Amino acid sequence: MTRKTIWHFTFVSLIIGFMLAIQFQTSHEPNVRDTRDIWEIRQDLKKEQELHKQLLHEIRKYEETLEKYEQQRSENKGAILRQTVEELKKEAGLTEVVGEGVVLYVEQMYDESYVGPVKDTVSAELLRRLMNELNMYGAQYVSIADQRIVNTTVIRDINGVTKVDSYPLRSFPFEIKVIAADAEKLYNRLKASTLADDFAIENLLLTISEPQSRVVIPPYDGTVRVKQMEAVEDARR
Amino acid sequence: MMWLPLLGLVIGILLGLLTDWRIPSEYANYLSIAVLAAFDTLIGGIRAHLQNIYDEHVFVSGFFFNIILATSLAFLGVHLGVDLYLAAVFAFGVRLFQNIAVIRRILLTKWLESRQKNRL
Repeated sequence: MTRKTIWHFTFVSLIIGFMLAIQFQTSHEPNVRDTRDIWEIRQDLKKEQELHKQLLHEIRKYEETLEKYEQQRSENKGAILRQTVEELKKEAGLTEVVGEGVVLYVEQMYDESYVGPVKDTVSAELLRRLMNELNMYGAQYVSIADQRIVNTTVIRDINGVTKVDSYPLRSFPFEIKVIAADAEKLYNRLKASTLADDFAIENLLLTISEPQSRVVIPPYDGTVRVKQMEAVEDARR
Repeated sequence: MMWLPLLGLVIGILLGLLTDWRIPSEYANYLSIAVLAAFDTLIGGIRAHLQNIYDEHVFVSGFFFNIILATSLAFLGVHLGVDLYLAAVFAFGVRLFQNIAVIRRILLTKWLESRQKNRL
């Protein structure tokens, strides 16, 4: 056998060995045995089903969004902007709001036999407390004596007179209008609260009306000053 | 020198195992046919060598040509919807057995002859 022949055989067998090894590796993927019992399989099945459900849910959500976007694209772009502005205005309290709600009446409460100084205003602390409670009970839009309460509204005592956004509260009785998503709930919660007692301490009578189907809250008539806000830098840019 | 082809086989297997290559399972058929063709050529070469009719050109060209023919036959079979690779398997299988049988007889004859020589 010549040297050259030996090398040929070696070369061929090397290639054969290589191919064999690859074929072996390909066809002998380690098959993992399934050792789960029926309960584990059921649990896994449940997990997968939940995942399935979740995925379907997501698909539906995204499809809806897509549809909405396409619809919006087909509409006028200006209309969308105007709509957004309207929504923001509503959120900021610059529009009149009509809805289901409760009206609170505040009036002075003095005995006939009472002699002494008469308070002609309601304290700012009490009003702030009332606002907090109302917010806690799910109030959405509030006005005090037809002054719309917005995020920047201040209720403070200026020289012995309580002012809501610089409008003094001097004349009794005045109304506090509240709109809530669930007026009945708000009414019940207000009834159960100690607010009436708190007002009574200041010689004020707080009357809570039955839930009304139509309460009109006027828009905020001041200008909204934006001092502490900045536009968010768009991260995508 | 005779152990070199064996060493080559071992090195080839080691290389294949160490590189950790895997081909997609749909091509596993082609590779198996190629392996069979290569084996056939190798065994045929050994037989030819033992019968002293070995020709290196025939051997090397046969090696590659057989592999290519077998895989293309399998490829054609897949596209025709006929398991044509079975034809290659059959042909190579039969030839493999025949060649191995011939090699066995030659080696047996040689061995018997050498034993008789030793006895004499």
